[in-house]
Amino acid sequence: MAPERRIRSTVDRLDKPSSYAGSKNRRRRRDDDEPRERTPDPFDKLKDSTTLYVGNLSFYTTEEQIHELFSKCGEIKRLVMGLDRFQKTPCGFCFVEYYTHQDALDCMKYIGGTKLDERVIRTDLDEGFQEGRQYGRGKSGGQVRDEYRAEYDPGRGGFGRAHIDEYGGEREFNEYR
Amino acid sequence: MADYEDDRRDRGRNRGGGGGNKRRRYDDDDDNYGRREPPQRRRQNPREGDNHYAPRREGRLEEPFSKLRRLLINIASSSKLPQTEGEEIAAVLAESWNEEKVKTDFFDVWVQLILEQPFKIPFVAGVAFIVNHEKPEIASTAIERVAERTQEALRAGQWKEFKLLLRFFACLQSLFEDDGIFTFLEQLFDTVVDLQSANENDVVGIELVKIILLTVPYALVAGGPRFHAKAQELLQKTEIVASNTLSIERVIEAYVSDNSEKPIPYYSMIGLLQTQLNNEAESGWEFAFIPRFQPPIPKKTEDGVPPPPGPSMHPFPAFSVPSPVNQGPKPLFPEAFISLYVDQEIETVPRIGDIAGSIIRDSIVDTIDQLDFNRDAVAKFLVELDCYWSVHTFAKRAIAFDRFKEEQKDKIVWKSEDMIIDAIFSQLLKLPAPEHKLVYYHSLITQCCKIAPAAIAPSLGRAIRFIYKNLDFMDLELSYRFLDWFTHHLSNFEFRWRWTEWVEYLSLPNLHPKKAFIIATLDKEMRLSFAKRIRSTLPEEYHSLIPARLDDDNSPDFKYEDPNTPFSEEGKALLHQLKKKAPAEEIQATIDAIHMKATEAGIDDVHVPSTDALATAICRLGAKSMSHLLSAIERGKEPLLAIADRSDAAKRQIVASVVEYWKDQPGVAVNIVDKLLNYQLLQPVNVIQWALGDHLGAGEPLSESWVFEMVSNTVTKVTNRNHQIVSARLVKTLSPEQITLIEEALGPARTSTRDIFKYIEDAVSGFAQGAADKLIEKEALGELAPEDVKLIGVWAKRWHTVFLRKGQVEERVISEDSVDTKIRLLEAEPEPMVEGEAEGEGQGNGVQDANGDTEML
Repeated sequence: MAPERRIRSTVDRLDKPSSYAGSKNRRRRRDDDEPRERTPDPFDKLKDSTTLYVGNLSFYTTEEQIHELFSKCGEIKRLVMGLDRFQKTPCGFCFVEYYTHQDALDCMKYIGGTKLDERVIRTDLDEGFQEGRQYGRGKSGGQVRDEYRAEYDPGRGGFGRAHIDEYGGEREFNEYR
Repeated sequence: MADYEDDRRDRGRNRGGGGGNKRRRYDDDDDNYGRREPPQRRRQNPREGDNHYAPRREGRLEEPFSKLRRLLINIASSSKLPQTEGEEIAAVLAESWNEEKVKTDFFDVWVQLILEQPFKIPFVAGVAFIVNHEKPEIASTAIERVAERTQEALRAGQWKEFKLLLRFFACLQSLFEDDGIFTFLEQLFDTVVDLQSANENDVVGIELVKIILLTVPYALVAGGPRFHAKAQELLQKTEIVASNTLSIERVIEAYVSDNSEKPIPYYSMIGLLQTQLNNEAESGWEFAFIPRFQPPIPKKTEDGVPPPPGPSMHPFPAFSVPSPVNQGPKPLFPEAFISLYVDQEIETVPRIGDIAGSIIRDSIVDTIDQLDFNRDAVAKFLVELDCYWSVHTFAKRAIAFDRFKEEQKDKIVWKSEDMIIDAIFSQLLKLPAPEHKLVYYHSLITQCCKIAPAAIAPSLGRAIRFIYKNLDFMDLELSYRFLDWFTHHLSNFEFRWRWTEWVEYLSLPNLHPKKAFIIATLDKEMRLSFAKRIRSTLPEEYHSLIPARLDDDNSPDFKYEDPNTPFSEEGKALLHQLKKKAPAEEIQATIDAIHMKATEAGIDDVHVPSTDALATAICRLGAKSMSHLLSAIERGKEPLLAIADRSDAAKRQIVASVVEYWKDQPGVAVNIVDKLLNYQLLQPVNVIQWALGDHLGAGEPLSESWVFEMVSNTVTKVTNRNHQIVSARLVKTLSPEQITLIEEALGPARTSTRDIFKYIEDAVSGFAQGAADKLIEKEALGELAPEDVKLIGVWAKRWHTVFLRKGQVEERVISEDSVDTKIRLLEAEPEPMVEGEAEGEGQGNGVQDANGDTEML
């Protein structure tokens, strides 16, 4: 058996980056006028990633709560709360950075999709926090998904802050970044 | 044979929880999977892999390879009989045998399925068994391909993989010439003899005996009565190894070892296996629960043509056992048997002496551990446990306990949910450590509850009650794990628990393990949530355990605000100076003022009050959140280090100040101490000496869960650091300078680790023996009742066992001997094999995840 042959698992893996994490890189590559071979693999940047994007948090969830849950997968190096761009209050996402890539993968496998503060949270591998990314990108300062959300979500500021028509073209996962 | 006469669909129809329509159930599952990706995308790009979940695309001719992959992966989990499925797969395989992809890639899937889904091994072997009648070359290709991987596992010391692959051969025993697998099992046993005679504390030999004993049942089911004598012979040989007890086994028991009240006696895994197999021998090697295949009915032959001869036989593959045997990537330990349901009034799981218990448990545990990368899939397989064993092994799924009792009167069947929960807990409560992070087992239980709540929740409730009942004598590390799991679990299910059941324990002293557990549970729940919310989930009787102060979102009081607190002015001044980022000289002036006043007041170590003021001010400034705290530490660390470095008492005072400031939320204090260790404002020994010295008093804090947490976290930090140093040493291409550098770090690390363990053992053993001065003093003064003294003694004993074990386990990693052995093994490794092969092994088998970065695609 040739060792190079990649063998696919018989069930899906939960520690793969989402389509968004990959597509984000692809989009950027298209924007740059660089030659294609610069980033041959859209997931390359994530292959040693130690950072996770965490979504669908309640605005009221504290750093301590996040720390309590996420440290079950390994020591946390840094935790950056996502903030409303104007209010500077939590707006429902954060970045969790571990010391090792393995801890980040384990977090995808064991914590993504479980509850924190009684909400099912979403985790995704991330290429790493950069200054500026802690702010919501929605028009009113929070995350884009909270602009147009039609359902009432008491943990995320009630109803969406704007009409869906204005942002109709945006997809939910644009919340990221 | 009779095993598959019933149509599984009919069985399914009666099942609760999942219901009979499997396809529909998968669709439900798929919604859970879907959470990971927005739905739009799923529609655009139907999940192509894992055809368990995706319905077959209609109207398109499926490539033989894809079809075979799909059929094989789903074997035994559809409504068809496995025998029928086996025949169908064998037919497609024979038909498309000329295709290159079928000849090669398909056997990657084949091997992968054996490694990842152990429940399916007998069925995968069944396919080979059936296809052998028509095209023996297919069976021999399968054997050859599995053998390659088996040899690799044997060379690399991947024992779990080795065991699973070997099971495939055991299930094909009837196709092998001569004695088949038994000859190889004997060869393995010879290796055991060599290992055991070379080292009395050898654990690899124990692992091999376990593998031998777990393989025999499958070989006998497939091989039939012809091999009974062979098995008997082998059992006589393994007896002596299996009945032996190693010294380390005393510290891996789930319950305090010399206690007569423990719920089940200690059994080593291999000792138990040996006994169970002896019992099975007496009852004629029945193994009724293991599924079997029958040869296909031969195609009709024309009159006069003789029926084809028996199946083609194959030579058993030749394996070479490496010498020296590779221990494998992780240190091995003997295993203790754990069960929360065994030998109770109602037999919901096999009796302790029944081999079925071990065989089914082993298969469940391997499924759990091999597929840790998809807990949703694992939960699904576990809930379907009854699909993978003989019919009539289990009662109907989700059967209510009362109805089960009735059914059990007529015939022996087991409750699959109890066996599932028992197996997961056997890992959660495995000492010294399970295969994966504990949180994996947490989320797996959560997932099982999500997909089959009606089936799992009642079993889980009985498990919780059993552990709580026996908490008093449980190993302290395990009771801490239980606490951590219990609170995390409740946080996923609206914190619902029938608290009224435990009200009676509220009147016990806080030192009582059952009361201490309740206190610790509420604290842990609040850490994941908040005080008001947790209070709302509790009956009134519990409310006083949650301090009212926590209802307000305010930061804890700053004690220097009170003018009666000594050094009140200076304390306030320091806080102010930190806030406005005052220059170092200003802060130093305030500190000098404290030193002066303290000298006047006749305080021995003036650095203690100044450290207290500064550390408390840092806590106050950073009270709002962990980020605030970190920036407060940044501001205060230089002056703090300047004073605390002057005396050990001052360093310990940092811990004391943090804990005092956060006395109502000890979890925050534990975290802060952890950060202070990272900033090297504290050394591990300071924390230990504070917790088990200054803070220990008459031993009451031994009952406080957060003290245990703080000490264990600190010890873990030390051992993790050691492991980094050791693994830096275990690299092949080091220069002599690098080696010297690492050895220079390793020596002192070793010494200080040993010192820490010695300190802990000394500190607690006085209390364990009731000989600690303060304990005797308080008892004499009547401040502690004799019951309290007894309780403290038991707590101390439990502490002692935990750190004795941790110390011994650590020696396996850092001792001069074990490092030398590993270096020798590393040097003996053949050059080119190292990289390429190691990477190949890492592919998707779940266990090698430490190098998971190759698996991202």
